[in-house]
Amino acid sequence: MIEKIIKENLIKLHVKSHDWKEAIKLSAQPLVDNKIVTPNYVNEIINSVNEYGPYFVIAPHVALAHAPGEAGAKELAMGISVLEPAIEFNNTNNDPVSYVFTLSAPDSNSHLKAMQELVYLLTDDNFYQILSNSQKPSEILQYINDSVVKQKIGK
Amino acid sequence: MVKALVACRAGVGSSLMLKIKLNEVISEHDLPVQVEHSSLDGLPSFDGPIVIALSDVAEELQEQGIDKVIVGIKNILDKNEIYAKLSDALKQVQA
Repeated sequence: MIEKIIKENLIKLHVKSHDWKEAIKLSAQPLVDNKIVTPNYVNEIINSVNEYGPYFVIAPHVALAHAPGEAGAKELAMGISVLEPAIEFNNTNNDPVSYVFTLSAPDSNSHLKAMQELVYLLTDDNFYQILSNSQKPSEILQYINDSVVKQKIGK
Repeated sequence: MVKALVACRAGVGSSLMLKIKLNEVISEHDLPVQVEHSSLDGLPSFDGPIVIALSDVAEELQEQGIDKVIVGIKNILDKNEIYAKLSDALKQVQA
């Protein structure tokens, strides 16, 4: 499932930004370019941080950037950006952020399986090595594919 | 069963991941907790005693003075943190 919603052209490596706002905009740009989310969706992500704080920095160095589907999520997809250098998101527990996963989910249930697979990947230390050391998005996608196959065999 | 609501701003991302992890902890430790998830809009109609959120949202809820046991999770991948805080909340509810 997750290997189907993360597309190669939504993965960006060595993303250079000056602050968290720019990091979010750059991470979401491939989804805007591919008409997966509207520009308003990206603004809404930034607005919700202004209102609620950086709540989507969910684990050390990991941000799951997302907004409510009605803000402009048109299809189920996820982008990955590897920030270089890592950026402060003002989340004292989990800063600095190196990995931004931008989620577009039009409804609240169809991606449960994909999120389970993402949780599994995020508890795998090798995954972070792959994210940081890959030179091409296809290498990351290959690792995700292999991981999903392994999970299926494991069960 | 004690009802707990996992809430986040959107109800589609962090709350869903937190719910997945919570359910792992609940089944590993056999805790009497039943978890639902929603956006913050689902909060007024929730009739259980425990609300769980990422720490920023939890602080916001605490400031609003909501009459629930509010649990704030810093790292959603950290099962030890989730277990410690959830058991605490359970004790408060069952006291």
